[in-house]
Amino acid sequence: MPMAPGTLGAHEALEVHELLNFKTLCAAKSKLLQGLVFDQELKDLMEKDVQQSLRDISNLQSLYQKASFQTEIPEFRPTPILDKG
Amino acid sequence: MKTNPMNLPPMDQLDPVNALNMPETSDMTLAMDLLMRAKEGVRNTANALTESVLPQARVLLRGQLHQAIQLHQEIAELMVRKKWFHPHDLQEQYQLDQLSAHKTVQIAQMKLYPDDTRRMGMFDRTPDEHMEGSQA
Repeated sequence: MPMAPGTLGAHEALEVHELLNFKTLCAAKSKLLQGLVFDQELKDLMEKDVQQSLRDISNLQSLYQKASFQTEIPEFRPTPILDKG
Repeated sequence: MKTNPMNLPPMDQLDPVNALNMPETSDMTLAMDLLMRAKEGVRNTANALTESVLPQARVLLRGQLHQAIQLHQEIAELMVRKKWFHPHDLQEQYQLDQLSAHKTVQIAQMKLYPDDTRRMGMFDRTPDEHMEGSQA
């Protein structure tokens, strides 16, 4: 099946998926660890990583919209962790 | 007699002696984590670049790759300066590797948390639950 021009191929979309999740985790972890670190220079580098990750995430998000399986994003409503049993 | 640092008794988290040099030790571990993530970032981005053909994707990823390499270099240089990382002295690096592995194993073997820390159902509903969707 030929791809529409300007859309991501399946293999590309997979890479974007992995990178986007990687960058999201990096942003979360570097932000969190800044609260645990004592060394100011190390903290500054972590903040640099956060800022860089945020930029990367926003660019990757726009790129990801070109995936063939892109769709509307619903409201975030996680199922409560509730042991009803 | 020379004491072997690898043969210490199990660590006691209430003993203040274990707080000695804690900030430096912890910073070293977290810096190593940051370095590994920066390195992974370089590899992941390079990997993704080799898989992409869309020009827009290639431009974006090439830019991210350069930034990732730069950040990795900065972290590595900081760690060398702080003596947390010894790429030019393998014996120093060997000692550091063994000691931090040992210390981390000791910490991981302590019982630090209660067995059951589940907090089920504490925040599972809002006062306006009868209202629909974003109204709630």
